[in-house]
Amino acid sequence: MKLRNCVSAFAFMALGLAAGSQAASAWSLEEAAKPYAGTTVDVVFLDRPGYNAAKEMLPEFESKTGIKVNITTLPYENALGEQVRDFVAQGDLDAALIDLVWIGNFAENGWIVPADTFTKDPKLADPDLDMNDFFPLVLNAFGGWNGTIYGLPFDNYSGLLFYNKCMLKDAGFDGPPETWADLKDKYGPALTKDGKFAFALQSKRNETQSADSFARMLWPFGGSFLTKDFKSNLNSPESQAGLNFRQDLMKYMPPGIVSYDHAEAVNALAQGDVAMITEWSAFYSTLTNKDTSKIGDCLAIAPEPKGPAGRKPALGGFSLAVATQADDNEKAAAWLMIQWLTSKANAQTYLEKGGVPARQSVYQNADNAKRFTYIPALVESWQDGVPEFRPRFAEWPTITEIVQEWGSKMMLGEVSVEEGAKTIGAKMEEVLQKAGYYDGKKPLAQ
Amino acid sequence: MTTRVRASTIAAFLGPSVFALALVGIAPLLYGVWKSLHFFNLTKANQQEFVGLANYATVLTDPVFWQSMYRTAVLFFVSVPTQIVLGVGIALLLHRPGLGALRALTRLALVLPMATTYAVVGLLAQVMFNIKYGVINQFLGFAGIAPVNWIGDPVNAYIAVIFWDVWQWTPFVALVMLASLSSVPPEIEEAARLETGRWWTILRHIQLPFLVPGLVAVLILRTADTLKLFDMVFTMTRGGPGSATEFIAILIERTGNRQFDIGLASAQAIILLVLTVFLARAYIRLFYREVR
Repeated sequence: MKLRNCVSAFAFMALGLAAGSQAASAWSLEEAAKPYAGTTVDVVFLDRPGYNAAKEMLPEFESKTGIKVNITTLPYENALGEQVRDFVAQGDLDAALIDLVWIGNFAENGWIVPADTFTKDPKLADPDLDMNDFFPLVLNAFGGWNGTIYGLPFDNYSGLLFYNKCMLKDAGFDGPPETWADLKDKYGPALTKDGKFAFALQSKRNETQSADSFARMLWPFGGSFLTKDFKSNLNSPESQAGLNFRQDLMKYMPPGIVSYDHAEAVNALAQGDVAMITEWSAFYSTLTNKDTSKIGDCLAIAPEPKGPAGRKPALGGFSLAVATQADDNEKAAAWLMIQWLTSKANAQTYLEKGGVPARQSVYQNADNAKRFTYIPALVESWQDGVPEFRPRFAEWPTITEIVQEWGSKMMLGEVSVEEGAKTIGAKMEEVLQKAGYYDGKKPLAQ
Repeated sequence: MTTRVRASTIAAFLGPSVFALALVGIAPLLYGVWKSLHFFNLTKANQQEFVGLANYATVLTDPVFWQSMYRTAVLFFVSVPTQIVLGVGIALLLHRPGLGALRALTRLALVLPMATTYAVVGLLAQVMFNIKYGVINQFLGFAGIAPVNWIGDPVNAYIAVIFWDVWQWTPFVALVMLASLSSVPPEIEEAARLETGRWWTILRHIQLPFLVPGLVAVLILRTADTLKLFDMVFTMTRGGPGSATEFIAILIERTGNRQFDIGLASAQAIILLVLTVFLARAYIRLFYREVR
């Protein structure tokens, strides 16, 4: 009897598995998309290499599914405002493009749908989706908030050290600096001469000042924006060491570095005016493009230098999530698009067209590491990143403005590092107080 | 004999204009006033509440607001008088008889800076003032002057903004003044020239009274334009470096569009509007009295 029960249970399981695998093998994008043919998905893109790669790929998705993708391309500076206004006004957007520092804001306002709404739906979930194939740091930081995954990583960056190996060789260096201290004390003096500069740290007063300049100098030195109880940590000895280091390093940077945005820093390296920059991996294609860069074969890439607390490189990037305001058909169509664009199967194409996928599998291909020289440094950086490199809560848009203003003032010498950090800290705590973090109204999630 | 016009005729002629004005001008203004009395942050839209004059109190006690106002005031007091002096000078030069085609050509050239979009002027300025590749530093280099860090230095960035504002709007002043000079009766001007060869005397006693209405119009328009100067500065310096060029309109945009605090930004904008209206009334009272 027991045996019979056991056999029937086993047979039942086997039947179930067979049915499941049949369902898996039966799933196809074309079939899944049939009910949504003719639906239009409205989404915001930026004018960056990863988005241009996606634009080249999307006609294939449209012809397979009959779903139309309507893209609005915006500059980064406008992308948040346009989306916020669209969501508040219950506008047209069906998918949200989310910078990692916007995720808390979007999730807390209920503007985006948790991904498991779709991954649990066998009609919509691609059996090969394989969420575990995404770099865990990237998936959680770019697409996750407070333990829930909303978006799939789409345009993925890590800070890397791009350098001119010919300039370094001429100055007697065999390779890039391993630490920030070496960069300042050894490479700085040797490479700053004849109108050329050792390093450029883009520090324009916008998100560049907060993310690329201010935060970049906090973490490797053991500093951070906030303590565990959400008080300012900017006047801790570690944070101060990092921010003072930035001031000292400025003597090896071009004058007017506070007006440098990404374009200026990349151009300075591309034209041979500076020897090293720390930039997002996404600028690889700009620096290797002969039309936009003179650096040619002298370009080399390494992970960002280490500080006393480790490498802790800049972390940034965008995920795509389904917008709550979309109707059911648009939601399903948007999910299918997001899933297809970020899929394991399309990662190679995306990479070859200039995008940076977050799929671990694509980087295991040894041939890719040879063809795309930034890959080893990128993969190493994603092992040692900090998700809260910039706090990702809803208050970041307000806090980043404070950091941008006072961080620039520090660099210009209008206030001392200590005074500037104190002011940012006080203003930051005021914002967090109003938001309700100190009286238990909001969880201390960043 | 006077003909009585029917009310319906008046309404038919004026109605569309009044309706359009109410739709695009008055209604948004009233909405702005209403929102300025609320806590209304787009990222916390569900926490909207009536806060009375609290936003106004916050703005008026905020040092950042007053610093922006100070920067805007300095810009106004340097830029507008410079434009008026240069504009009147150019107009007087072009008003001289016997210039012929040169005058027509110069008039045409004067229209170009005004016709250029503000944002484009800012983008051009960003390129032209680039420390390494900018044409301004190239010219300075020909004169043996070392490259100037225009955009990355707070004082130089401020000077660059003033320079571009003067470049763009001096032609406007010149053309208005030229039009005003054309309204001086030629026989009076000729008689005055027979009496005296001193240009200052002719300017002071003959031409200036005819220039005053134009000057008042220029002052009102340029005051409003300077107070709301945004596009050019935004594309050129984005208010930086630091806060060096964060004028009041840049601050309002930052508050409303980057911090999403629509209530506070509305209060800032309403205060700016009140100030603009007050200044416009003051100009009319002070200067128009002279020509009455």
